[in-house]
Amino acid sequence: MDTEDIELSEDEEEITAETVLKTLQNAWQNERLSPEILPHHNDMVECMLGQIQHMERNINKLPKTDLRSCIHKMELNRIKYIICNYLKTRLNKIESYCIAIVNEEKQRIESGTNYLTPSEFRYAQEYVLNMENHLKNTVLDHVPGNMQTFEFNKMAIYPNYQSHVFLKANETVNGIVLEDLLGDQDEEIDLEEGSQHILQYKPIADLVKNGKVQLV
Amino acid sequence: MDPFEIEFIGENRIVSIIPNFSHDKIFLICGEFGPFRAGLPMNVPLWLAVMLKQKQKCRMVPPDWMDIEALETIKEEEKISRFFTKMPHEHYMIEAKLILGVAAEDIPRAAEIKTIIKDIWDIRMSKLRTSMDALMKSGGSYGRLDHLTMMEINSVKPLLPQAMDELHRIKMMTRQTSSSTLNSSTFSQSGSSQNK
Repeated sequence: MDTEDIELSEDEEEITAETVLKTLQNAWQNERLSPEILPHHNDMVECMLGQIQHMERNINKLPKTDLRSCIHKMELNRIKYIICNYLKTRLNKIESYCIAIVNEEKQRIESGTNYLTPSEFRYAQEYVLNMENHLKNTVLDHVPGNMQTFEFNKMAIYPNYQSHVFLKANETVNGIVLEDLLGDQDEEIDLEEGSQHILQYKPIADLVKNGKVQLV
Repeated sequence: MDPFEIEFIGENRIVSIIPNFSHDKIFLICGEFGPFRAGLPMNVPLWLAVMLKQKQKCRMVPPDWMDIEALETIKEEEKISRFFTKMPHEHYMIEAKLILGVAAEDIPRAAEIKTIIKDIWDIRMSKLRTSMDALMKSGGSYGRLDHLTMMEINSVKPLLPQAMDELHRIKMMTRQTSSSTLNSSTFSQSGSSQNK
């Protein structure tokens, strides 16, 4: 019943199951707390699901009364919770901001920096399509002809990038510019390693994505 | 995030137990633990400790910081300091709640410890409310919160971030009405967006 090292085929990098779990947990926490959808961690999810399957097969071989079996089951349930909640949070965001996400994702796919997994993207596109059909069937088809066009851009809901978030700096980052709306005195702050702050999401969005800060 | 999720994260913390059974090392995904030797202290994650305790398979070892004198010092410092002082660790409240909840009989003077920790929490929460008030009154859009633990931060959500969002919205509107060039695109964006 070892948690042996797992090999990621794409980049031949060896990482332990422990590291994968830690990364997933941080990704889950960030996804829960950031206003926008973040780049996916599908490789980590797949890797962990594989590990869970492997563990479950081994647990089934153990006698029911074995203490190990309930400890392992408990751990697996904890990990499954993280994965489920992570994926659900992403789906919720996709549903809330579907039009905006599909539009932005199309551009990101062209530049090869997609945030969604292929199946999430398919889900988002189908969701938009279903919403459009639903609104057409229930409302638009029954109103005068000159009002029947479905205006996507007017329907789009965007995440609020100006919303305030709590974060902890994983490493020191200098010179975050905070916009001053009323005066013209933009403020510049430094995030020292380990320090905690509350500030707008927009100036630190990239730092969340490259892991320099962790949302709390 | 919900408080139970913060508790869930806090449960990954490593604590000491004294098992009353013997068993080889267990290889969990989050690391290896063991071997279990009856009567000898060892480290396990808090969730596992709680589970073993509930099955009456171990005794909990009180964490170093769960000590009346040490906690009194922390409490005094917290009272004197204008700022938040550093807590024993990020999840002190969760660790205290869980350990004192399932294993109060393993902790010497558990009732007193509970009271002191509650006092420390109360001092910190009242400090937090005062500083939130000051932050909002100064019209701030930025604050530094060193040494606040995750549970404490979570307790002011969504109030503080949302209040700051509203303040931001008001500032945006003031700027738009005062400036001659109306920037309608940014306005409709922040107006129609949702808070998460």
